[in-house]
Amino acid sequence: MTHRLKITAQLITLACVAGLLALLVWKLGHQQHPPRVGAVAPAFSLRRLDGPGKVSLASYRGRPVVLNFWASWCEPCKSEAKVLERDWTSYHARGVVFLGVDYHDLASDARRFVSAHELTFTMLDDGSGRVTGRYGISQVPETYVVSRQGRIVAHLAGPITDPSFAGKFRSALAKAAA
Amino acid sequence: MTLRFLAVVAAALALAGPAAACAKPRTSLAYLEGQVMCPTCHTTLDQSDSAAARQIEGFIRQKIAACWTAQRIESALVANYGRGILAAPSHKGFDLLAWWLPIAGVLGGALVLAVGVWRWSRRREPEEPEPPEGSGLDEETEQRLDDLLARFD
Repeated sequence: MTHRLKITAQLITLACVAGLLALLVWKLGHQQHPPRVGAVAPAFSLRRLDGPGKVSLASYRGRPVVLNFWASWCEPCKSEAKVLERDWTSYHARGVVFLGVDYHDLASDARRFVSAHELTFTMLDDGSGRVTGRYGISQVPETYVVSRQGRIVAHLAGPITDPSFAGKFRSALAKAAA
Repeated sequence: MTLRFLAVVAAALALAGPAAACAKPRTSLAYLEGQVMCPTCHTTLDQSDSAAARQIEGFIRQKIAACWTAQRIESALVANYGRGILAAPSHKGFDLLAWWLPIAGVLGGALVLAVGVWRWSRRREPEEPEPPEGSGLDEETEQRLDDLLARFD
């Protein structure tokens, strides 16, 4: 009887340890990293921030897409907004799509931000950060340039107003629009 | 003069407005700061000083002033940020495990401890000697012992 009890206790302990190990492996396997340049941009469908309905990345296949992740509480996003709007107005005639993805933000504050900065490109709401997580965003602003084939051409982990990113952004945009 | 008086009254009313909107707040910022997560830093609001946390605190303050209950504020935050904005898991579905597993763990640990202590105390108890059958001596030795004892009578 005592021996059986001991075996049962050992089995339970083993099962607990195995469960914890499985949990650790699962967590490590599900850590989100930014997709690499050249990889297919993760698909998504998000609510529009500026109106009803949803927008999916797949619906823009065949057109270059600039994906800009931002938030109304983000200071550098304010100076970047003007530059993005200017680039959008000069590139949209060439078929380039600009999508702003508002991340971990209050939708009401985000709408106020869009209106205050007179942004006219499509804005999407990712309040929960689900899509942003798939793009491995750890800070805002961050920008991805996606080719007509749906592949990532450039990833800029910082404001495009930053001198180190500005040139890279322009050349990626030109490459994607070509 | 009358215009100036009216302007002062209007300004006073405008300033008193938010305070008068909720004379008896139904929850507090201190309470909700421990219940709501900062979405960018993954700690509760009271442990964060990030811009996102400050934005949510501002929202909570505004809703407390509008007399909202804690539950209503939490629901509004969940609608905007998703369930992950709350520090505590829900009492439904898979999340129930988060509530019951620690209790099951404590109960299991207590049971193991109780069984261990019980077994340990049993091992330490001195075993009572079994009473010998008869005197345990053979007949000859018993006879000699009787003879020896008889001498002392």
